[in-house]
Amino acid sequence: MSWHYRLTAFAGTAAVAGLMSFGVATPASAEEIVLKMAVPDWPPTRIMKDLFDKNYKAPSGNDVKLDIDFIPWPDYYTRLNASLTSGEKKYNMAVSDSQWLGAFIEGGYYRKINDLIDADPGLKAVLDDMHPAPLQAYATYPYKSQNYYGFPQMPDILITYYRKDVLCNEEEQKNFQAKYNQKLPCTPEEMDDVDWDMWEKFGEFFQRKKGDMLAGQPADDDFYGIAYQAGKAYDFNTMQINGFIWQYGGNIWDETQAPKGHAEGVVNSPEAVKALDHYLRLTKYMPPVVKTGGMDIFKTDELFREGKVAMIVQWIGFGESTINPQTSKVADKVDFALMPGLRGSDGKIIRWSNIGGQPFVIMTWTDDKQIKEAVDFVKWWLSAEVQHQFAAAGGQSAIKSVYNDPKYVTYRPWNRTWAPGLEWQKDTWHIPEFFELLVEGQEQYDLAITGKQDAKTTLDNIAAFQEKLLKEAGHIQE
Amino acid sequence: MTQAHHTSPIPRASFTELRWNNWLLALIAALVVTVGAIILLPPEAAFWISGAMWALFAASLVVNAWGRYKGGLLVAPAIALLFTMNIFPLMWSLGLSFFSYRANRMRTPVFVGLDNYEKIVTDPAVWEHLHTTAILAIITVVVQMVVGFLLAMLFAKQFPLRRYLLILVLTPMMLSFVAVGAFFRYYYEPTFGLLSQVVRLFTGEPYILLSSTTGAMAGIVFADAWMWSPFVMLLVLAGLVSVPKYLYEAAAIDRVSGWRRFWSITFPYIRGLLLLALLFRTIEAFKLFDIVFLLTEGGPGTSTETIAIYVYRQAIQFNKTSDSTAMSYILLFIVIVLTNLYLYLANRRAKEA
Repeated sequence: MSWHYRLTAFAGTAAVAGLMSFGVATPASAEEIVLKMAVPDWPPTRIMKDLFDKNYKAPSGNDVKLDIDFIPWPDYYTRLNASLTSGEKKYNMAVSDSQWLGAFIEGGYYRKINDLIDADPGLKAVLDDMHPAPLQAYATYPYKSQNYYGFPQMPDILITYYRKDVLCNEEEQKNFQAKYNQKLPCTPEEMDDVDWDMWEKFGEFFQRKKGDMLAGQPADDDFYGIAYQAGKAYDFNTMQINGFIWQYGGNIWDETQAPKGHAEGVVNSPEAVKALDHYLRLTKYMPPVVKTGGMDIFKTDELFREGKVAMIVQWIGFGESTINPQTSKVADKVDFALMPGLRGSDGKIIRWSNIGGQPFVIMTWTDDKQIKEAVDFVKWWLSAEVQHQFAAAGGQSAIKSVYNDPKYVTYRPWNRTWAPGLEWQKDTWHIPEFFELLVEGQEQYDLAITGKQDAKTTLDNIAAFQEKLLKEAGHIQE
Repeated sequence: MTQAHHTSPIPRASFTELRWNNWLLALIAALVVTVGAIILLPPEAAFWISGAMWALFAASLVVNAWGRYKGGLLVAPAIALLFTMNIFPLMWSLGLSFFSYRANRMRTPVFVGLDNYEKIVTDPAVWEHLHTTAILAIITVVVQMVVGFLLAMLFAKQFPLRRYLLILVLTPMMLSFVAVGAFFRYYYEPTFGLLSQVVRLFTGEPYILLSSTTGAMAGIVFADAWMWSPFVMLLVLAGLVSVPKYLYEAAAIDRVSGWRRFWSITFPYIRGLLLLALLFRTIEAFKLFDIVFLLTEGGPGTSTETIAIYVYRQAIQFNKTSDSTAMSYILLFIVIVLTNLYLYLANRRAKEA
């Protein structure tokens, strides 16, 4: 290659490069703004990222990027906690579990958003259109106060997943009728009317040994009637037990009553003891792993997808993988209904349950420009159009005008349970000491589930522990 | 010719002289500024200013050593790294253990002296967890030593496929803890698990190992021993192959019994390595976390919760930062005492021999 040829080539390349950079140069007013976000790694956040990348255009004209760290659920609290407490200030936003609000607000990490709501009528309108249960659970600290810290990302509730092929089978219908003189429910509407007594019958009735007849065929393995969470890790027994306690008219320690409300006498009230007894009684019909404290939400999910159990109580968040034939053996055999409850004296079912789901939060160190973009992003996420897209892809919406739209129930088979289910949701504690309360509860309940102590002792122990801890922390004052 | 021959060392500075190599002055300045900054300035500014002063001190040490202590300069980067990543945090956490401090609260740490230590030593929960840890550690180490030793005796002999079997036997200790934990979780699982399936062939009922405290302990010990017996075997095997053949030949000529041959020839050669294996495994067993956490989460209740899991809950889940650092130091102290006890015994034996 001669020197002048090289020179021309070089000049040409430079000219092309120059032209290209000129061509793609953005207008001087548009800035690139990155929102760095920590989220748990599961479908609701993946769908969000996907929708953002495909559709999002910032109203400010800025080039807004969503830089997301997807962190596996079991690791999520530890990782987010480490990042926040270390002071590295890595994230501007996070999808936080609602119970963590107190711990991270007291640490000075989550930003109060009342000023943002007051300054933005659009945002206020969206929040006004939201069901109060998720809004209080995901946004308020102290719980049910007027201090707002979060916007719902994925709201979630516990519902029943059941095998319609088994329950609707003629043989099973006939045998059930003969044994209990009651019709075995089959349609989702019939299943909605199931209380815990009926559930107990299902537990007893559907227990089959390998080779026994099940829905007209010999069972290829042991089969069980019912399962719900009863696991030692994280909150995997508390979430179900709280529902039972509320249904019986008992209560957990109520932080909205602080500093006057006590734990002793409330947590271990006779109603709560009855409720825990009922919860424990049903575990004897569940797959044997329940006796090890290993029946967490991932195990109930696995048992159901593997076709080992006729029905489970589960978060909606697992629905998507249950109806997908690539991940589920029962994809075409499953239907969904409201979680069972306790039948009251008027014949109506009391369905109190512990709400799941997560809010978005903004960190205190996020600067004004980022906050503006974050608010715009949240408004986009909570807009009717995007909420419909999210629901159509398997998510849920807490916004009334969205989930009351007749289209909503057509997206997924469980969506019909959403609006009625939302009416029965309460949340567990939001105070900074929630993890200490949670772990002690989990350990004590685990002793009861594995048969080491009775319901009364369990709740007495929990009440004594909570009374002492909450007094030390100043949440209970004489 | 090397650089050092050209540059003669910079003359030592006297204490008051403002020169780059006056490390003593730099040290005193750094100390004074750090203390002053911590008292007077906001934490962030104090951190950077004292950091800069200590960097200056380090620089003055380097300048002073230039051309004078070549060896020292060569190891300096390693020491600097060790200091910033290891020793400094260790000292920092030691300091924290005398304060009342929670990482997720805005309050500044308050000096409480030995309160944290007193609280821990008088806390029955800590003793209960230490007790659990001790039981688990003793059983699992004994099992590992016995199994590892027997395996080593087996593999010291020549037999067909020995090399391939050896690789297979060594595999468990190369696996990650999480993989082993997940694997055994399934192995013990009553519905899907292999153990339960096999027992069910005979009894017709699923077998639920982890439902009782004893069962859970046995499950943990088995998994831990499965993973770490090969490590003991490897060390013992190294001792066994180092025994000179002629000693055995001489013993054979003297018609010495197998038992006597083992105690007089083999054992003295592997004793040191056995102690080493015991030392390593005891320290590790004392820190037992991963397998327990994955298999039982400490359950049923807290009956298999080791002290390491307890510290994790206090530090990471509850953010009781200073309490948990104090507890960690007590653990460190226990491990150091154990280690020294072993070393003392090992040395005494070596002298006797």
